[in-house]
Amino acid sequence: MRKNKSVKADLLLVAVLILVGIAIGGALLLTRHTGVVVTVSVDGRVVERFPLTENRRYEITGAEGGYNRLVIEDGQAWIQEADCPDALCVHMGKIRYAGQSVVCLPHRVVVRIEDSPDGMPDGVDAVTG
Amino acid sequence: MRTIRWMSLLLVLTLLTGCAGQGKREQKAERELFAMDTYMTVTCYGPQAEDACDVAETEIRRLDALLSVGNPDSEVSAINAAGGGELTADTKALMETALSMWQATSGAFDVTIYPLMTLWGFPTGDYSVPDGETLAAVRAHVGCDQLVYDPQTGTLTLAPDQGVDFGGIAKGYTSDRLGEVFAAYDLTGAIVSLGGNVCLYGEKPDGKPWRCGIQDPFAADGGRTLLGVLTAEDVSVITSGAYERFFTDEQGNVYHHILDPATGYPADSDLASVTIVSKSGIEADCLSTACYVMGRERAADLWRQSGASFDMILMTRDGTVYVTEPLRGSFTTDYPLRIIQ
Repeated sequence: MRKNKSVKADLLLVAVLILVGIAIGGALLLTRHTGVVVTVSVDGRVVERFPLTENRRYEITGAEGGYNRLVIEDGQAWIQEADCPDALCVHMGKIRYAGQSVVCLPHRVVVRIEDSPDGMPDGVDAVTG
Repeated sequence: MRTIRWMSLLLVLTLLTGCAGQGKREQKAERELFAMDTYMTVTCYGPQAEDACDVAETEIRRLDALLSVGNPDSEVSAINAAGGGELTADTKALMETALSMWQATSGAFDVTIYPLMTLWGFPTGDYSVPDGETLAAVRAHVGCDQLVYDPQTGTLTLAPDQGVDFGGIAKGYTSDRLGEVFAAYDLTGAIVSLGGNVCLYGEKPDGKPWRCGIQDPFAADGGRTLLGVLTAEDVSVITSGAYERFFTDEQGNVYHHILDPATGYPADSDLASVTIVSKSGIEADCLSTACYVMGRERAADLWRQSGASFDMILMTRDGTVYVTEPLRGSFTTDYPLRIIQ
């Protein structure tokens, strides 16, 4: 009788441990793809990191003054307005996939979408253009 | 029963360490720099990734100092000031490719377009629309047929009022040089973006080919985020488009930076962007500019004549994408797609 009880307890323990293992593994898998961030760097230094999933407006200050207004909305990021001479950053449009970036050369500002290490199916490693 | 207990514990531990192990990858090094009037990124994979990145950055800075027309101490500035001179190894290689591409593209790519670029203000950003007379006078000096180059001695003699600028091909040449650095450091893979000129070396750490996005030229006017995605290995992918650099005059006319050597005005073809895929970065750089000037029909003819030594992705102004046959399986787009055969 005593032996039987011990078997039951052991089986229970095995079941619990397996469930815990599956739960931890599942949690790791699920959290893996949520790491998509918008990084803002000025003159080669990262100054801010924002999640792509949170709407926000942020004024970036260029390397030697000036501003670029960054907008993150509905999973896309873009420079809405800037006082740089060419405003090419505003014309670069909206970015959403890992690997894409918007660059403002006069202000030395780079806005880039970065991914969790394992990559999104839609992500790219670089963008030509 | 104790055995089962231990085994299950072991099982859970294995699961946990297995997951942790997935985050571990091979050695990676990254650099981000501003050079050649643009923003660059270099990412290397391999046991010597750090060293390779250092050497790559040094090489980029060296070539920038050598080829910058904005730097009065550069070799190119000295050549332009003196009306020629004896070229060194790098400028010799650039000049020889520039001349062969000038021939191959029937003059659509011309390294002597520099005085025209200056007239429009593109190198300095001090833009102005030249009057027809001034433009014709400057254009008269544009043409590789007017310079004399001796490949034996590497001596270049420019005609009076001529000037050269390797700016249009320096990044392509640089990516070829970086490829040599990566090979010397036994990298398993590397990915370089020199202001949107992408060089894909080897393979990704997961063994899959690289995924290279192509900028949508209509991105700012309600287009898509990307024109399309190309998967590839060991090639340079270089795009030219009017959207990269342009200015607008008081009347609202838009003038872009890809000048047609035949007219002296911004190229007015049926294309919105040209992407060239080639083993040779420098050739891809020349061809993306030339094909943009030539337009879809002539670009397709050039590809056929070349014996398909490169591939291309053309986006016409009406929003249709044309790709050369060999890219059919490795290119995806949401735009209407046609195949060039």
